[in-house]
Amino acid sequence: MDGVRVGNRVVGTQSPVTIGWENIPKVEGGPVKRFIFTWFQPTVFFALLAFWYYAPNSIAKASTALGIGIGFKVLLLLLEWVNPRYESWRLTWKELVVDLFYVGLTYTMLRLVDSYIGSDVLIKAVQDHFHAEKFAWFTGLPLLVQAFLLSFIFDFGQYWMHRGMHNWYPLWLPHSVHHYITQLNINKGAVGNPVELFLIGLGIGGLFDFLPRAFLLAGSVGLAVGTYQHINVRFNSPKWWRFLFVTTEHHSLHHSQDFESTRSNYAGSYVFIDRMFGTCIDGEAELLGMEGGRRMTVREQMTYPFTEGWKTLKERFGRPSVAVPAE
Amino acid sequence: MTSPVRATQPWAPQAWDATGARASADTDALFVEKFPAMRLISWIWHVRGSVPLMPGQSGDDAFDKLAPLFRETGTTHKRDGDTLTFDKKDQPAQDKMSVFDHGVLRIEKGATGSVLRYHLISRSLLFCFFLPLFFLAFAQMTIALGKHQKASAETTAAAGKAPNATHKPAAKAAPLQLNPIDKFLGAPAPEKPKDGEEMGRRGKKPSPTPAYVFASFFTILYVFGRIFEDWLIKRRFKRMLSGE
Repeated sequence: MDGVRVGNRVVGTQSPVTIGWENIPKVEGGPVKRFIFTWFQPTVFFALLAFWYYAPNSIAKASTALGIGIGFKVLLLLLEWVNPRYESWRLTWKELVVDLFYVGLTYTMLRLVDSYIGSDVLIKAVQDHFHAEKFAWFTGLPLLVQAFLLSFIFDFGQYWMHRGMHNWYPLWLPHSVHHYITQLNINKGAVGNPVELFLIGLGIGGLFDFLPRAFLLAGSVGLAVGTYQHINVRFNSPKWWRFLFVTTEHHSLHHSQDFESTRSNYAGSYVFIDRMFGTCIDGEAELLGMEGGRRMTVREQMTYPFTEGWKTLKERFGRPSVAVPAE
Repeated sequence: MTSPVRATQPWAPQAWDATGARASADTDALFVEKFPAMRLISWIWHVRGSVPLMPGQSGDDAFDKLAPLFRETGTTHKRDGDTLTFDKKDQPAQDKMSVFDHGVLRIEKGATGSVLRYHLISRSLLFCFFLPLFFLAFAQMTIALGKHQKASAETTAAAGKAPNATHKPAAKAAPLQLNPIDKFLGAPAPEKPKDGEEMGRRGKKPSPTPAYVFASFFTILYVFGRIFEDWLIKRRFKRMLSGE
């Protein structure tokens, strides 16, 4: 495969990728369908911001956010059914069970672990040790600025953690499992080795004080932008949207079977962070995964980082096997 | 420069080991013969059924029609007369039989004509069957941890120690105020936090509710999957045998 030159690198030499917005297929169908799948993302985004900005205190609560989050994901599952990006990414019963198992782990086991050794706990320990106060003046900023800073700080941290995972072998081992997924749909973001899911959730947002409503607004950015990373829906995202935000196109390229393409588009919500650091490639891919698209079992997903790590350690530090001459 | 990740990862597509066929379904049959009581519970992950062949259809023709199902990546199969055994490993998501890992298909002659009998084994069904139990166990663990935390906090209080005795006392929280821009735009003013309340999830007791919710999800998913996948494979065999 020849590949395509993007800046000073060549992508798509190992697996087909589509580069450039002009080459990416558009939503097919009548004017109503095209209108819906062009304006759905911005409409939901601004509707959620407006809702959390003006919602009375009695309903501006985490429980409401949880309900909206679940309802929104069910709606997106329906959209995946109606207008899939690729038939080869169709959700099956087996995929749904595996995906929901990981979503379940995130809501139960990872939350429990987070409550003991998560970033909030670590930041509190550091603050207590150094007798440091939080940055309380943040609560005086306009709500939308607080929300943007909160989500940006988290995404900026996530960008570097993610980039680190692709460049440092000990971090790559837990993250590699997530790259064995062979299709995208909305729950695939949760699929990965639990060690990685814990690491990617670490952030320094807890260093700062924010109004509770700013948390809800920042959460709606994650919901109305970050969720689309792993969705199997074809959208005609507006130009400004795909310039600012991570799209399925960006993230599918990141999951491509082509090695060079995976080293792009690390951000979770704000793709302009990738643009700032020169790691953004506008494009998409259908063939995803590793080892030619081998699908991993749940058992292997759980053990892979440890077994691979052990193999590497043995190769590097173990006694070399001595060849026994044939008699 | 080659990155360490690139140096250590076998990114290039790898060929499948086509020699790994094993008659696991036969092994399974022996297992059931050894432990007949297993038949009572094996329906959990074993799917059995039969589909009548078209009048005059031979076993060879039937297996030829079903052959595309066994040409998938990660699938190995063996045809031996009227019996076909297959194994699937790391099967792709869109493999029409991805739910099944091993199986035996046999052509039998009945009074009214030939019949395809199948016995398929699914680790996914077994996995889904155990997931409600896994999440229920997790809920119990969360409750036990909550009780342990409460007991430790009470012991600490009884000993006369404040939980954060080593930390400096928290400064009295300043009242939360909206920025003038937000006031102008009409955003509701923030409520005063209740005593001891912190923002975010911090300080909250772990709740078993999510684990109960997921246990319910997987119960529903198992029942649905056991019926749906059974129906789906039967329909697929029927359609393929009739040449649809």
